[in-house]
Amino acid sequence: MRRLDRLSIGGLVTLLVLVVFALGSLIGAGGDPDAIVGPRLQPPGSGWWLGTDNLGRPVLPRVMEGVGTTLLLSSVAVLVTAALSATFGIVAGYRGGYLNELVMRLVEVLYSFPAIVLAILVAAVLGPGQTAALASIVLVTIPLMTRLVRAAAVAVSQRDYVTSAVISGARLPRVLVRHVLPNVAGTIAVQGTYALSVGIAVEGGLSFLGFGVQPPQASLGVLIQQGGTYMIAAPWLILGPGVVLVAAILAINVVGDGLRDRLEPRETRTLT
Amino acid sequence: MRLLMWWSGRALSSAATLLGVSVLIFAAVRLMPGGFAETVLGPFATAEQKAELAARYGLDQAVFLQYGHWLSAVAGGDFGVSMISRQPVGAELLARLPVTAELTVLAVLASVLAGVPLGVLTAVRARPEGGGAAGRLLSGLGVSVPEFVLGSLVVFVFSRYALGLKVGSWVPLTQDPAANLATMILPAAVLSVFSISVTARTTRDAVMGVLVEPYVTAAVGRGESPWFIVRHHILRNAATPVVTLIGTTTAYLLGGALIVEHVFNLPGVGSYIVQAVGRRDYAVVQAGVLLAAGVFIVMNVLIDLLVGMLDPRLGVMAGRRS
Repeated sequence: MRRLDRLSIGGLVTLLVLVVFALGSLIGAGGDPDAIVGPRLQPPGSGWWLGTDNLGRPVLPRVMEGVGTTLLLSSVAVLVTAALSATFGIVAGYRGGYLNELVMRLVEVLYSFPAIVLAILVAAVLGPGQTAALASIVLVTIPLMTRLVRAAAVAVSQRDYVTSAVISGARLPRVLVRHVLPNVAGTIAVQGTYALSVGIAVEGGLSFLGFGVQPPQASLGVLIQQGGTYMIAAPWLILGPGVVLVAAILAINVVGDGLRDRLEPRETRTLT
Repeated sequence: MRLLMWWSGRALSSAATLLGVSVLIFAAVRLMPGGFAETVLGPFATAEQKAELAARYGLDQAVFLQYGHWLSAVAGGDFGVSMISRQPVGAELLARLPVTAELTVLAVLASVLAGVPLGVLTAVRARPEGGGAAGRLLSGLGVSVPEFVLGSLVVFVFSRYALGLKVGSWVPLTQDPAANLATMILPAAVLSVFSISVTARTTRDAVMGVLVEPYVTAAVGRGESPWFIVRHHILRNAATPVVTLIGTTTAYLLGGALIVEHVFNLPGVGSYIVQAVGRRDYAVVQAGVLLAAGVFIVMNVLIDLLVGMLDPRLGVMAGRRS
């Protein structure tokens, strides 16, 4: 069992900091996001560490609140995706036949939409808001994860321990939960981290276009969209949330890479 | 012949997927809030007016009949009429398509020209034990910066400081190619950052997979130069995943183009769709989303053909399996 490498640990630490950051906003650390603390559009300074917005509100607590909204929405969505993908992928991969065909067809249809286009379609049906953002992330991340879980489940289903469990008289639910699920869990974990980073990007993009989380609630996408109006005079309005958003996505991707390399180490060679 | 059989199977299955996509979009538009009659006639419409309107647009027919009419109209190139401007959606989409196409083509070119060499280079240079943290961080950064963040920053930097390239004031390609390119370089660069990084990563993974093959060991043993080995033994064998990726990336770029067009205020298909959702112009949303998905599916069918030509084993495999 290899340990995670340094880069992945750095990613984990960054994530942890962001979570603490988000939790801090719940207990009011960083100040009241809606209080007017100073003049409008002030550059970062004491009293407003990330500057103030067009109403004189401090940017820092709004970013903290935004991180919380973004992380919570994406995590919940990815948990839903993981549960659905695991169920559909394992059943389709193990049973095969028409069920497999049906699941793969549906996944193929969803996979044909560019992510943000699918998200916009969902937002148009459900109306802009958190529900639309959540449903978008689920629908965007489900196709890839279901495909990969199914592929892993197909491979696992042919292993001897599954056959021996079936011969020993284990019922279908037991075979799936006790023998197949644990062996595709690695795939689910790796794809889950990637799905989380996609989810954060989708939430950001959708909210940035005005179809996701709605102001006054802050999410990172909302803050960047609102900051855009005053960007030339006050670049810190998009720099703060922008840097935090990129840090979150990067940290999660790095952790995902680390997990993947640990689960399937690669060989390499030199050409001389 | 086997290639043709395999490929036509793939094409047929894609046609089925396209049909599924059309059903999904049709259903989604029926589910959208705010009935058509209310949207067009306003809140003070009488029941008779609504009934008349419903009859005129065929909304009083059975749903599957409506779907059939819509599908045959779309197949004939008729995407309906915008509910806001009353202009044909097809004509507007066609007028805006060149902008989105140019943006996407520029980004795909950039990913192939920069991403593939970068991937090959990092794979060949990779050392078996650890290292490469800086490279991983950099390529990780490339896939982690969303277009709307990078785009907003670029718009800020280039509007604030005179750096030669202008943001905004878009000119049609046919009118002044040089001026058009000057306004398209920044959006295309923002759009391509993600695809360059993904292409580089995929190329790197594919090349590293080929590097451990016995025939590469044999070539090293024969004393062939690294560059010769890359050209003659590695590139074609590593090509399949990279070519496939370019198809998937195109779909991604179509989505990214939507955001980039919005940020840079370019008159493309993407900004048309964004405006339409804001104005609840469902006819446009329906057509735009169908176009995006359709282009992706057609693109993948073409990529399948290309992959089949690059790797003759694919056709044979399919023949044996079924």
